[in-house]
Amino acid sequence: MLDNFLSTRTFRNLSLISLTTLTLISCDKNESIPAQPYDEGVFVINSGNFFDNNGTLSLVSRNSKTASIDIFLKENNRSIAGGVTDYSEMDEKGIILIDNSTDGKDAIEIVDAHTFKSIASIKGEIDNPRKVVKAGNNKAYITCWDTFNPDYSYKQGFVAVLDLATNKITKKIPVDKGAESIVVIGTNAYVGNVGSQKTIKVIDTQKDEVSATIEVGANPSNFILDASNKIWMVAEKELRLFNPSTRLVETKLKAGSNDKKSPSSLSISSDKKTLYCTYNFYDSADGYKLKGEINAIDIATGTSKTFINRTFSSVGFDSKSGQIFTSLIPSYKQAGYIFRYQASGTLIDSVKTEIAPSGFYFK
Amino acid sequence: MLLLGWGLGISVGAFSQQNLSTDCKDCQQLSEVQVFGFSPEKFMAGLKVQKIDSINLARFQYQNLSEFLQFQAPIALKSYGSGQLTTISFRGTSANHTAVLWNGLNINSPTVGLSDLSTIPLMGFDQMAIQYGSSASCVGSDAVGGSILLSSVPNWNNKGINAIIGGQYGSFRSGNLNAGTRFNKSFKMGSLSGKTLFYGGNIRNFNGKISPVDAVRTDKNGREYPIEPSETTQKGFVQDLYFRFNTNKPSSYRLIYLNAWLTDNKLTIQPNIVDFREITQTQAYRIITGTQLDNTSVKLGFIRDILDYGKGDFQNPSHASTDRYIIRTEHDFISHKTAAKQNGPTVRTGGEFVHYATRVDGYGPAIIHENRGDAYALIRKGFDFNGKTNKLITTLNLRQAFSSRYKAPFTPAFGLNFNLFTNKISQLDFLGNIARSYRLPTLNERYWKVLGNPTIQPENGFNKEIGFDYKQLHGQYYKSSISINAFHNLIDNWTYWNPEKNYRVENLQQVLSKGLEINSSLKYNDFQQQRSAGLILAYSLTHASQQKVYDVYSQDLIGKQLIYVPRHAISGSIYYGQKLWNISLQGSFNSTRYFTFDHSGQPFPPYFIINTTFTHKIKIMSQDANLIFQANNLTNTVYPNVKRNAMPGINFQLAAVFNFHQ
Repeated sequence: MLDNFLSTRTFRNLSLISLTTLTLISCDKNESIPAQPYDEGVFVINSGNFFDNNGTLSLVSRNSKTASIDIFLKENNRSIAGGVTDYSEMDEKGIILIDNSTDGKDAIEIVDAHTFKSIASIKGEIDNPRKVVKAGNNKAYITCWDTFNPDYSYKQGFVAVLDLATNKITKKIPVDKGAESIVVIGTNAYVGNVGSQKTIKVIDTQKDEVSATIEVGANPSNFILDASNKIWMVAEKELRLFNPSTRLVETKLKAGSNDKKSPSSLSISSDKKTLYCTYNFYDSADGYKLKGEINAIDIATGTSKTFINRTFSSVGFDSKSGQIFTSLIPSYKQAGYIFRYQASGTLIDSVKTEIAPSGFYFK
Repeated sequence: MLLLGWGLGISVGAFSQQNLSTDCKDCQQLSEVQVFGFSPEKFMAGLKVQKIDSINLARFQYQNLSEFLQFQAPIALKSYGSGQLTTISFRGTSANHTAVLWNGLNINSPTVGLSDLSTIPLMGFDQMAIQYGSSASCVGSDAVGGSILLSSVPNWNNKGINAIIGGQYGSFRSGNLNAGTRFNKSFKMGSLSGKTLFYGGNIRNFNGKISPVDAVRTDKNGREYPIEPSETTQKGFVQDLYFRFNTNKPSSYRLIYLNAWLTDNKLTIQPNIVDFREITQTQAYRIITGTQLDNTSVKLGFIRDILDYGKGDFQNPSHASTDRYIIRTEHDFISHKTAAKQNGPTVRTGGEFVHYATRVDGYGPAIIHENRGDAYALIRKGFDFNGKTNKLITTLNLRQAFSSRYKAPFTPAFGLNFNLFTNKISQLDFLGNIARSYRLPTLNERYWKVLGNPTIQPENGFNKEIGFDYKQLHGQYYKSSISINAFHNLIDNWTYWNPEKNYRVENLQQVLSKGLEINSSLKYNDFQQQRSAGLILAYSLTHASQQKVYDVYSQDLIGKQLIYVPRHAISGSIYYGQKLWNISLQGSFNSTRYFTFDHSGQPFPPYFIINTTFTHKIKIMSQDANLIFQANNLTNTVYPNVKRNAMPGINFQLAAVFNFHQ
């Protein structure tokens, strides 16, 4: 179809989507307000198809076998105008990052985290937003690739500072090309990339300035925190544990034994003892089918094993239920599915969501 | 007099089932065209062919096919925006199942196998017909769902030189200019006729110098669609030359001709900010030269299609260039009986050879060559019953395409027109056609390094259709017509960019498209008072769906309406004209369109849009000028394009076209 011809960018984007994953951020919230429809559940990030600009969020309740689809549309009577790259909550607000197929039309939607009613829309100020994280009181950091160069190479990326009191972008902090993963520990934000850079950038969240550049290995991404606030990441196609205090990579683990496959979509169990990731590759010997499995890595011993012998595009660990969620994208033109597994690896059920489910926000 | 017009319509038009807006003037023009060059309609018995009249073409001369066709027929257009990529889908098939022919040559882009109708301005040709259903046996690859036949026509009737200069300007600072001449001069050896035309213009879709970043349009249900600022500049050059030699015998016909059409279309999305720009430049050089000696014709063609796509400063765009060298020869065997009584057999035999040379960034550095050929025999025969000539007209078409790279299917077709009755005031015809069809793989499908598939096979279709066509006169001034057509088209080996294989293309799907079309018209014509009026309505019901399970998730798609295909589509127009002025309204309706295979997500809601035109002819110092006022989307309807951006709201254009006769 023509969609395919017109844009190498579509495919670039697809492959980037499949290579990247959502950083999981745990969330504690006050229980004083009466329960609202969006107070708990698993938010599924459906990235949508690039030119269709049809990203959505679905909500899957932990005790339900169906998904509430397109909850933004349901509550606001308008659609998200683009693909969805990330969703996270902070300061009682939900922040949706939106990538429209037209440069200059990307957006940030800010909603009430309890009602999902729109609070503010920020349009046309940042391009290719990737991940959002809480960076302080009423402050969010959003990693951005910016627009591509004419040859589709990355420009210098940046971290946009979002003031949640005024709902305005107050600053753009230049970081590495392909700025992507981000975590905040204390007053430091650590920013990875998918732009083939070997470094992470450290940002002082009080000054909103880069304070250090540290080499950790190419394409540091998929940041998650372990029990002692060290950062697990994927870099050089393996799992690496970065110690923010010493600023050194302490541990390197293989996610599996197949050199063709790459780990992605890293998540961690609630006891912080096990890492889960997708472990996939495109099999050129078999029509370039995506093949792979979900692997589990025991941090103590460093051993990996096939946890679910089925190919998925993402995996997430739900601390609240102790269940493992995976997502499957049959095509970017039909609804995808999420699968729920017990911690033992036994399949519980699957739920149809929307176009290209590619990440989760557990609440 | 009108009946005589119909008589012509039968003898000429019975095979090209006249639809809607044909009058006898056009029939005569058609018969003249048939003498010269390409006239596939003659071999399309049982198929529905809708001729677009010249008045309509003149009225919308500043439009592209993308804007024009929506109001002419109940067909589905898939648009990426105003002035942006727009493709047509006939009867539930996809855009590359539509053959777009210019003077008989398929001008679909060989890389993607389709035509972007937003790059084809009405200025570029003189006549147009829309043909529904499979006619691949007659016109070649791609004509699986339908075809659009564009042609240039010599004008032997108006002697002298006629200069035309015109311009149009309107909303969003969009405008067009054109200047040209038509000439017809007799010499001792014969007559020279031709046309030279330059045109250019631009289309924008936003008000003011810069469109605000958060510009949206909100529909009546509160749904917001962003406005994607775009600017399209277009320019072109047309040169037609015909020389007809004087001959001793009236039946003898000797002609040499040249048709050249150069086009350049440059679309810029986000034109105001360099970093945001996305530019698609489409250029085409199309040249045909040929000769016709009595019933034998030889045609040489060269088509170069260039597509450049890039971002930002457009310094190093991705480049695709394909050249086609075409030679086609045809000979018509016409029996004496045919010549005398018009009902004997006519056999057209022909052969075509096309050499492709393509250089596309995505195919690697080398030029890729491919040869394709076609051999065909088209047979038409009329039968008399009860003394009535041509009561039954049949066509049998046989075509075999060849390629240096794969095997193409043999493509036969059989069609008939049976006149059930004709009396003084009415006529009823039965139409039937059964046809194989095929689509050869696009160059992208075969040669695209990453996602192409060197073993991809041609698609093939099997189309069956029947129809009834009824016409009636009501007194001196009124006539009406109604036609009903039903079709069933099964297309196998339908190519699919398979997501399971990371979007590599495969012959995976099988699509069944079936439906019903109703066309009707009521027309009033008073030649003496120079008054005319009409009401034209067309409706189509289409169900097109994927049939074959090829993986576990395709079960979610089976039987569901294909994406972008509306189940119901309506187009219509109403007009009134008197002497020097004419007013018309055009309407177009599309029912809900899905854009996901499994119908998940929010489909595009139904929409209805209305355009209007007002034309007025003025005489200045014995010269003619035409004023054309046009208002589009009168109800200011908000509806989305396929990128879910808003299409333009109400907008206006005013044009003036001056004719200077020698």
